[in-house]
This record gives sequence, C-alpha cells and structure tokens, in this order.
Amino acid sequence: MTEKILTKDKQKEFLSRLIKVYQVFAPVEKEGNLLFSQINTPEELAEEYRNTKLPPKELFFPHSEALFRFRKGQVIEESPNEAERVIFGMRPCDAKSLTLLDMVFNTEGFKDPYFIARREKTTVISIACAQPQITCFCTSFGGSPVSEEGSDILLFDLGENYLVKSITPKGQQLIDSLGGLLTDAQKSDLKKRDELIKTALAEMKSEIPTEGLKEKLEGMFDSPIWEKIHLKCLGCGICTYLCPTCHCFDIVDEAVDSEGKRVRNWDSCMYPQFTIQASGLNPRLSNKERLRQRMMHKFNYSVSNYGQTFCVGCGRCIRNCPVNLDIREIVKLISGKQEAGRSFQ
Amino acid sequence: MDEIESKLRQTAKQLLSEGKVDLLIGYRQGSLPSKTTPCFITQEQEAAELVWNSFCTNNLAVYLPGLFRLDPRSKKREQKKVGIVVKGCDCRSLVGHLKEGQVPRENLVIIGLPCQGMIDEKKIVAKLEGKEIIKAEEQNGQILVVDEKGQEIRLAKEDFLRDCCLVCQHPVPPLYDILIEGKTARQAVSDEYTEVKELEERSIDQRWEFFQRQMSKCIRCYACRNACPLCYCPECFAEQSQPRWVGTTDDPSDIMAFHLGRIFHTAGRCVDCGACEAACPMGVELRKLTRKLIKDVGELFGYEAGVSAEEPPPLATYKLDDDDEFIK
Amino acid sequence: MTNPYQPHLAKITRIIDENKARDLKTFELAFCDSQQAERFSFVCGQFAQVSVLGAGEAPFGIASSPTDQGFLQFTVKRYPTGTVTTALHNCQEGDLIGVRGPYGNGYPMQLLEGSNVMIVGGGFAFTTLKSLTNYILHPDNRGRFGELTVLSAARDPGEMIYKYVLKKWSERDDIRLILTIDKEAEGWKEKVGFAAPVLKQIDPSSKNAVAVVCGPAIMIKTCVAVLLELGFAADRILTSLEMRMKCGIGMCGRCNIGDKYVCRDGPVFTYQQLQEMPKEY
Repeated sequence: MTEKILTKDKQKEFLSRLIKVYQVFAPVEKEGNLLFSQINTPEELAEEYRNTKLPPKELFFPHSEALFRFRKGQVIEESPNEAERVIFGMRPCDAKSLTLLDMVFNTEGFKDPYFIARREKTTVISIACAQPQITCFCTSFGGSPVSEEGSDILLFDLGENYLVKSITPKGQQLIDSLGGLLTDAQKSDLKKRDELIKTALAEMKSEIPTEGLKEKLEGMFDSPIWEKIHLKCLGCGICTYLCPTCHCFDIVDEAVDSEGKRVRNWDSCMYPQFTIQASGLNPRLSNKERLRQRMMHKFNYSVSNYGQTFCVGCGRCIRNCPVNLDIREIVKLISGKQEAGRSFQ
Repeated sequence: MDEIESKLRQTAKQLLSEGKVDLLIGYRQGSLPSKTTPCFITQEQEAAELVWNSFCTNNLAVYLPGLFRLDPRSKKREQKKVGIVVKGCDCRSLVGHLKEGQVPRENLVIIGLPCQGMIDEKKIVAKLEGKEIIKAEEQNGQILVVDEKGQEIRLAKEDFLRDCCLVCQHPVPPLYDILIEGKTARQAVSDEYTEVKELEERSIDQRWEFFQRQMSKCIRCYACRNACPLCYCPECFAEQSQPRWVGTTDDPSDIMAFHLGRIFHTAGRCVDCGACEAACPMGVELRKLTRKLIKDVGELFGYEAGVSAEEPPPLATYKLDDDDEFIK
Repeated sequence: MTNPYQPHLAKITRIIDENKARDLKTFELAFCDSQQAERFSFVCGQFAQVSVLGAGEAPFGIASSPTDQGFLQFTVKRYPTGTVTTALHNCQEGDLIGVRGPYGNGYPMQLLEGSNVMIVGGGFAFTTLKSLTNYILHPDNRGRFGELTVLSAARDPGEMIYKYVLKKWSERDDIRLILTIDKEAEGWKEKVGFAAPVLKQIDPSSKNAVAVVCGPAIMIKTCVAVLLELGFAADRILTSLEMRMKCGIGMCGRCNIGDKYVCRDGPVFTYQQLQEMPKEY
C-alpha cells in the first residue's frame, strides 16, 4: 500500500474534499467533551487532543436505535440505510476495537445488519499516537500507539506534514480519489515516521502483566479476590459505556397504544437488572458477580469465543471511574503481580 | 507525614486491634497522582495505608446502606461494626441514612475529620490544558503539580477547590464518635446560592434551554445516581419494568425524566456533597438542579438536610402553620 | 442479509389454560406467512423469541413437536414482574404476535436416537419435554428410539400441565408414563412424592439410556444425583437452562454462563458440560 504526504497547510482542503463526498466524523469539542461528531467544515475538528471522551463504537452501534417500527400489528422494517462515511482522527486503540466488535456482530451464524451496514460504509482514518497518556496500556494487549489494525488509513503526525499510509483497499481508494493533493513520501519522511514510532513506543509508560491471564482466570471463578475487588465499585455504567469494546445491549419496545418501535439500547453487565429473569431470579445478585463477569468476559470468555482479549488498553475506564477502580490493578492482582505491601481494596 | 493523617492511622489501627470495628472505610492513595481511592480495611496493619489530604473527594457514606442491606441470599442483615471516615458533607449524608433507617447507629463508629475543602481534579486538568498530571500534592496551602514535561506548577488551593466546598456551611461533621483534631476546618461560609439565583432570573425558555443542553451530554451511565449516598433504592424507578416509569433510550425526554425523577427524590435530603457531579464523566451540571431544591426546601420549610439526627425531615412533618402555598 | 431481529407475525389460533392457578397458558400459533411456516424448521429443545408488539419479546422453549404440522406451541407462565409474560396472557385467540427463531442447539438427536430415553420433567418446565416426547412417539420416529419412560412431577394435581396430552400418552403401550405430585390429594391415584425419590423407585436402567431432566433447580439437582447413582454417565444426562436473554443470537452479552452463551451454545447441556461451567445459574 502507498505512503503519501499531506502537508498540514492542505489539511483543511483534505477535509473539505472529504466532506463533499462523505459524511465526515471527527473529534469535536462539544460542551466541554471531546466527542466524535459529524463535521461540516474543517474548522470544527478539535485542534490538539489525546483521545475522545467516548469511544467510536456509538457510530456503529448507537446508544439507542430502532430495529423496526410497528403499527396496528404490522411490522415496518427499518432498513439500515447509511451514507458513505469517513471517521477522521481515530486512535489506533479505538480502531482495533472495531475489529473486535466485528467478531461479535458479524458472525458465521448470525449477522447484525445495522452494525454491518455502517461498518461497510465507513472508512477509518486514524492518527498514530505520538504521546500516549499515563493511562494508556495498549501494548499490554498486543496493540500499539502506531498500530494499523482496524484502520483503513493511518496518519503519522510528522510536525509540518502527515505521513499518510493506506492500509486497506478501501483506504487506498480514498487516497487515489484525492489525486494531486497528496505527494509521494520521501525517504526523509519515512525516517521521521520511524523516529515517531520509536518515541511513541518509548513513551508508553504503563505496562501490565498479561501473560497467561486467561489461563489464570479459568481457575479463578471462586477466587476470594472478587470479594475484595468489588467493594468500592459503585455499580455504575461508566466503565462499560466508555469502553470501546463493551457491546452488551437490551431490546425493549417503546410504544403508545401498540404503535411504536423496538429499540436496542446500550446495557451494562454492571447494572442489577441486567440478568434478572421474569420470575425475579437473578444469577448475578451483587456487584461481586457483576464485576467478575466484566473481568471474565474481557479477559477470559472473549478469548475462548473470539480468540481475543476484549480490552484495547485505551484507559478510558481508568480516567473516568469515580472511585478509581483501576482495571490495571485488577489485572495485576489476577496475575499475582500486585505491588508488595499494598493491599487491593 | 501530616499530623492528621498519622492520627487517623493510629485511631484506625486501635479500633481494628481492639475489635471495636470489623471493617473500616477510608481513603488510600489511588492509582493516579491526583486521585485517592476508597478502601475497605479489616487488618490493623492496613491502617498504615490510610491517607487524608485534599484529594479525598469521594463521599464514603455511599457504601453504608449496601453494607447493612438484607442479604438476598441469606436473608440476613450484616451485623458488622463499621468504622467510617467522614468529612462534614459525608457525615450529613450519613445522618440522612440514620434518619431513614438505612444504617444502624450502634453498628457505626464515625471518625470525623474537619474538612479544609477538597480539590476538584477536573479544574486542575483544565488548567493543564491537556498535559498529564504526573504528581499532585498539597504543600502549605498550595497544590504542587508536576506535568508530564516535568514542569512544576504551584497552584493556590483555593482556586481549585470543588464548587460544593466553596459554599460549604458544615466543614466539621455534625455527628461523630471520634473527631480527629489538629487542623481547623475551612471557614464555613454563608451560601448565597448565587448561581441558582442567576438561573432563577432567566426566563422559562432560557432555563429549559439550559437544562436541555446539560441533559444532552448525559449517556445514562447512572454514575450520578450510584455515587449519591441517598440513592440507595435496591431497584431504581428508572430501571423498573413493571410498570415502566421511564424509557431506557437516549431520547432527551427519557433522559430528562430520569434526572428530574431522581433529583426530586433527593429534595429535602440532598446535602450538596457534590458526588453526583464529580462522578459524571460528561460534565452534566447536576448541582444546578439539586441546589435549587436545597434552596427551596430551606426557604419553604426552614430545613437543612443532615445537620441534626433528631429533626424530622420535611416530608415527614406536619405543621399547622404551614402556608401550603404550593397547593393553592 | 436477513435481519435476525425481525419477528414474523403469527396468529394465536388457540389458548389453553394449563393449571388451576390460571397463570400457565399454552398458546397455539400459526404463521401468517405460509412460507415462513415452512422456513421455521426446528429441533426439539430449541426456543424462539416471542413478542407482543408494544410490550417486548422474551424467549420460550417450543412446546410443540417438529412433527406437528401447521402450528407452533409455547407454554408461558405469567409473572407479575414479567412484562412480556403478562402481555401474552392478556392476548386473545385471533391476536397477532411476533415470533423469531428458532434458536439454540436443541436436544442432541444423535445421542438420543438408538437409546432408551428417560424423561423427567417438573412443573411447567415440561414444555420442550412434551415436544421431545411427541417427536419420539411419532410413527415416523418411534422406531429409531428405544424404550421411552416419562416422569412428570407437579406440586399438586391442579398444577399438572398438559393433562390432555398425558391422557393420550397413558393410553399407549410404547411409552411408560409416571405422574407424581408432592403431597397426597383427594382423588389422586398416581404416585405421590418429589421427582427424585419417585425416579429412584422407577429405577430406570442406565444401560444404553439417556436421561433428560428439566424443572426447578432443586429438582434437577436431586434427580441428577439419583441418575448418577443409577449409573447414568454424566455425558448422557441432559438438561435445559434458562437465563435472561435479549437477542437470542449470542450478541447482547447477558445469557452467558462462563464462556458459553445459553442462547447459542445451549440451552441444552449435558451434566458433564454443566460440571465444567461456573456455578452461575
């Protein structure tokens, strides 16, 4: 695939041209939060940022969406009719999360038409991280601040230029459509890119022990650690809603007098009602069982089912947990590599 | 080490070693420089991990109702003796629990700490304009912050206090078994409700627009509810399915209905501890709503929540001279 | 791409009150679209998502047999806290409801065929067992199975469901049917006692046999203990699990027990599989 150069003075033109052809989503500062949002002018793009508050999953799997409508006993199909889209400025960890979500929603047996339609119509342009945050730990789970996984195009910020690398045919097609806007990368650019990669990797401060994590967890369902870990957990949905890979949902009807819609809403395994049955029976009665489920799902069950850990190390759950329940500390505890002299509570 | 912190550790150690408490809830250093984290200790040697500083923002009373709730499996109530570290506001929440019969007083050992005001981490983050905090600690009324570039920044603590601390009228816990003395509490100020008044003066349309804009940020993670010590209902009205009071979608009307329902439920009970707003990952200004209710309850019923364990709450009070103005 | 969330409309052609408490009803349905009726091919033990438009959908085991032509059956218990079960119970004959599926693995016919089959059902969990029994008893299939013994247990005579079916079975000689209730009741001439001790009395031979047990957790537990004692191998004892489900297709993430999704990998599991799963059900 090709490597091109986009000079920063042409970034606006680049975005403008994309906006003409695609719906373009990019990080935008909205009411104090950096969020992926549709932009209509290049100026709307946030200037400098580490990562967005919310992961990009909602662009494919919205918080609430109608699966179909119904009126007077008839089902009216809600066809997932999406325009061609570009998401600009995603981070590699989030781009990787999309490949994990693919495994859930696009299976051999069943296909989720809403998610798949959006995925097919979206081109992902990511920007490699030059400055990982102190809560970033993507490298612990096989990711990297400069990973290409899940991106169609990956940009490297070389200061005055972006090095533009197409990863997939979809990305190549987009680059080809831009004609002369991009120039060929020179050796010196590639050298700068390599420097950036080196620095970014060196900047990764947070590393957690993940070797054999799944195998350890397999024998830990009844471990006493769950009794301790959950104590301070408030049972809110921040970690799940801000997680790029958490994908649990609920299906409910929203109707007035038999006219309405069947809606899929985000749901969280941390909520008490998540597993309650009509009879009132609830197999996960307390935060202990729920937090265990969340950890097991990410680090054990997902590996069984998809061959992948469902954590990309973005650190959103760490930064935003109201009680500083740090997933890295839980992993350390599971691995038996907790700092000496510090009890986990 | 800070004198108060060392006294706190001694006290905790003694309570645990003498068996006066089975469990003690306090703070310890968190995994991030500007955060402490709640801790639940049962061994006397763990007392050495307790901290007391300007980052002890969490309201630990939030954990109490859950600790004493009927266990759904054993159908028994915990008989544990629980020690808890409280600031003024945390203690007022706890007083609410006592009044509402959620927590048995005889099972509690309340360790009160005069509060000097707590730091709002979000204000420091904003000040650093995207740079990461590598170190943050209090030094002589200043906050020393080191950013990721290694740059030291000294901030006046007063400018980075939480909004609720800036209007706090009860920095000293109104109820305690042990008071850890050593530092005087922050001067109580008279709350003028400036920002509430400013909102009250706006037109209905402007206020509606304001609240809609706030609610548009909400992602329904329920962190505000779960962080609130008074939101201890085992099943929240927002999640009940039979009957369903509120839709569970992200539709603005569903979100607004949830927040209004929840916040009105705290009327006459909310102590303005700020836990809801601190927990919100999206920056919804929830205290604009809660404080309006605190102000109204004060003006209409002359009541302030959590100050006295004896005074009956307004919703459980009948006064002959009540002018019933709201119903006319 | 077919949309797995789209329900197919079906008409309620018959509603049968199953118990004295009147909180158990069997709904007999016919798909409005005859092509859909043909497409909906299932094996015993599978379930479907049944929906009342406006109230929502919930999973129910299919109570009719694949050999039943032209209709589907679901037996539904109404719970005061269950939105869908309540809405279903408010439906009348002639009403339209939605069905999507079938989902889940169903009973392993390869294992059952050629074996003697011991079926144990308690309370209203008998639904997919009725499907299985009727399937085995069908003239096209009967020859492929060995001896068939069915034990149906209920709290009291009024709670014994499918009486009209049990009566037909009792008139046949290619099935051994045993009914039991918890305590003596006036006019009751069948067995008295919990399922497990009665199962012990029946003393089914484990030789070339497979047992299928569905019912309340405590009943499953005690019956499995008896079966193991009788020499049934753990991988020849089957049961069907219930968990809260939403999607039915392994996506919504809530019905898992360990790494198994009950909707996709179950609901039928062998006792051996259950032993390997965490105890979270």
